[in-house]
Amino acid sequence: MARDRRSLLKGLAAAAGTLGLSTAFGPARLGAAPLEKVKELGVLRVGLYADNRPWSWEDPSSNGGQPAGIDADLARALAETLGLRADIVLFAAGEDLSDDLRNVVWRGGLLGFKPCDVMLHVPFDRAIIRQEDNVFFLAPYCRESFGAACSRGGNCEAMPASFKGRPVAVELASIPDFYLLGHAGGVLARDLVHLSTGYGAVSALAEGRADFAVATTAQIEAAVADHPGAGIQVRKSALPMMLSPGWDIGLAVKENSRTLGSALEDAIDAMIASGRLKAIFSRHGVEWRPAMAAQPQG
Amino acid sequence: MKRRYSQIIGTLAAATSLVGTPLAAAGPTSTDIDNDAATPGDVISYGLGPWGQRFSSLDKVNTANVAKLVPAFAASLGGEKQRGQEAQPIVYGGMIYVTGSYSRVFAFDARTGEKKWEYNARLPDGIMPCCDVVNRGAAIHGDKIVFATLDAHLIALNRETGKVVWNKKMADYTAGYSATAAPLIVKNMVIYGNSGGEFGITGAVNAYNVDTGELIWSRPTIEGNMGSLNGKDNGITGKTNATWPGDLWKTGGGATWLGGTYDPATNLIYMGTGNPGPWNSHLRPGDNLYTSSTIAVDADSGVIKWHYQTTPHDGWDFDGVNEFIPFDATIGGKPMKLGAKADRNGYFYVLDRVTGKFVSASKFVAQTTWANGINAKTGRPNYVDANRPGAPAGADKGSVVFASPSFLGGKNWMPMAYSKDTGLFYIPSNDWGMDIWNEPIAYKKGAAYLGAGFTIKPIADDHIGALRAMDPATGKIVWEYKNSAPLWGGVLTTHGNLVFTGTPEGYLKAFDAKTGQELWKFQTGSGVVGSPITWEQDGEQYVAVMSGWGGAVPLWGGEVAKTFKEISQGGMLWVFKLAR
Repeated sequence: MARDRRSLLKGLAAAAGTLGLSTAFGPARLGAAPLEKVKELGVLRVGLYADNRPWSWEDPSSNGGQPAGIDADLARALAETLGLRADIVLFAAGEDLSDDLRNVVWRGGLLGFKPCDVMLHVPFDRAIIRQEDNVFFLAPYCRESFGAACSRGGNCEAMPASFKGRPVAVELASIPDFYLLGHAGGVLARDLVHLSTGYGAVSALAEGRADFAVATTAQIEAAVADHPGAGIQVRKSALPMMLSPGWDIGLAVKENSRTLGSALEDAIDAMIASGRLKAIFSRHGVEWRPAMAAQPQG
Repeated sequence: MKRRYSQIIGTLAAATSLVGTPLAAAGPTSTDIDNDAATPGDVISYGLGPWGQRFSSLDKVNTANVAKLVPAFAASLGGEKQRGQEAQPIVYGGMIYVTGSYSRVFAFDARTGEKKWEYNARLPDGIMPCCDVVNRGAAIHGDKIVFATLDAHLIALNRETGKVVWNKKMADYTAGYSATAAPLIVKNMVIYGNSGGEFGITGAVNAYNVDTGELIWSRPTIEGNMGSLNGKDNGITGKTNATWPGDLWKTGGGATWLGGTYDPATNLIYMGTGNPGPWNSHLRPGDNLYTSSTIAVDADSGVIKWHYQTTPHDGWDFDGVNEFIPFDATIGGKPMKLGAKADRNGYFYVLDRVTGKFVSASKFVAQTTWANGINAKTGRPNYVDANRPGAPAGADKGSVVFASPSFLGGKNWMPMAYSKDTGLFYIPSNDWGMDIWNEPIAYKKGAAYLGAGFTIKPIADDHIGALRAMDPATGKIVWEYKNSAPLWGGVLTTHGNLVFTGTPEGYLKAFDAKTGQELWKFQTGSGVVGSPITWEQDGEQYVAVMSGWGGAVPLWGGEVAKTFKEISQGGMLWVFKLAR
């Protein structure tokens, strides 16, 4: 059953219920408004995670403190394609995705945080899509997974347990953290150096603060690129018993903003076709990997 | 100076009708606050005294006449900010001071309800509070009203004008810190904890100079972390790595988000601590001290004198923050200096408040699946191992565990009360459990995550909430009042043999303290989740409570939500007295 990404998305939209379609007949103006409205205002308000290097973070050294990262560049490219100015809002992640979608996409914050026109870096997962009635998920634009790296001269392909007694860096309370804490009966639990981000965990390899790190592929590749000559090695084989096979990342707009969503999806399709998306990733040292949902399936 | 003089004159002129009202301009001292329980003409501390017993010696309103209690006036907190009014009012010098949701403070005339001033903290719009926008009350000292904000500032206002005297940033809200508790005043210091336990922080108890907001001492609640006194290191808490693996003690949780009580005689501050992180207990073998505990901190040095852990190695999100209330009682023929705490985990603990030694623990909820009682010798729970949520195991959802109480607790934040007359504690409790499982399909900050999935469920057909009278000497429930919706408000008891508490259904209710018979109720128009108070003014006894549904409960759906889905939000101060 080969399906292209478009038809899969249409299927998902239909599965999400017909409620959304009815807006085209009821308050029709409202349904059509979002794209017209942003064009009228000339601004695309984009929500991105704060402190999420290499995707989005505040970089005081560049562009007068403009948000930096792959998603920040993508946000600006999307706005430009639509003839708009990007207004990027970095927000602190909530406890789970549902909190973020409520605060950033469909309701806004209780203390006056205005919802964004679109949020990037939203996991694209059928189970989540079924749960979130107020949000339209679309345009899965890349795939992420977990990997590992080690410091210069280390045996990166060995069992993680072989690093027992040496510092192993990981982001606090992440899947890599749970993986390493539980790995081989917990033999590494006393060796873990907990840091606030996965990017920081891999960077610790360059700074002599750790010998092994588990993080996302993008965090690893970006940290390697940012520390040239530091000798960070990237593990090639899959981590044994890793708790996640990887996930797709896409966009989210409010359920009644499908016109805007479609325009953004067209813009991303064009950026994939032209190689512009790949170029944005490589500017940050990260290899672009297409989303699974966007690939033909057997 | 001129202004102060005229105020004194004004107060003196009115003094004939203001029996027992102190001079307004000077304001309460720390000694006055320590003595609050003995001065029923005012309410100048959270809990009607530093012990927090919420007992008033007044009896003009009593079981014989409470049915004639009628509104004296009501005052609105106005605007669109109608949610989650969890505050306890302060009454002093003819004024009522309350905090409102969204970090607001109001001053009302205690005789007419007329608003004197209002203060709205400027909050950054980027705050996304985890658990609603509540505030539990202010403290008063001298010419100041002190309260804490959702962006983790401590603010002192001039109590006559509402103008800011000082504004101290306690912690960085962008790192997940917040503040909702009422401050505790001890020896000219503001004692305050911290909150944000869900974000990988470390709990602490801090003491600030009440005149300037400057930090005097700080005591982390997790072993291995360094305390401070007057800007210098003051020894680490506990022993590093004694009960935590690796470096997890650096981010272990144990937030002190509910504040504490104080015993002037022992000079100890009693603070409860939150649950440990990360959430899955299998990832942090050990007791994880001092999470889910009560700690007793010396008020002068900020050193921990004793600790008692109610849920060692917590795996159910059983915060240990609930208040520890000192009381004196004779148990087994022996007069004892005690303290009691009704924990999230469903057990009511009695400890020696001088040493922290375990005295007894009794179940105060209908069901505890996680433990079969507390071992009387060791004071540790008899765990039911099969009912501990499992280790995360990849893409597998794993087994679903039914845990009772749910993580919202047999009792949550809402303070209980103790009557010196009946010798009973009145516990606002809830009977509910939860299905909990490992949730393999979860995401956090755009990355795959292993979350905990849960569904909160009632465990009885006829109620979730239950106000229970607990005899601390025997561990027996003497009476109970069942309520359909979960109870989420504080309790007050009086020498008039009365117990007051509010319900989400909108009632403030009065019960016979000895029998539990319901004697009076009044519909306030929105859910009552605040803590009632009483005081004497112009020869009459007044009762006040905040009304305004909100807090953490409405954020959880499922079957529990059916009990309160019709309740409207609000924001009112209600004041009652006897009809003449």
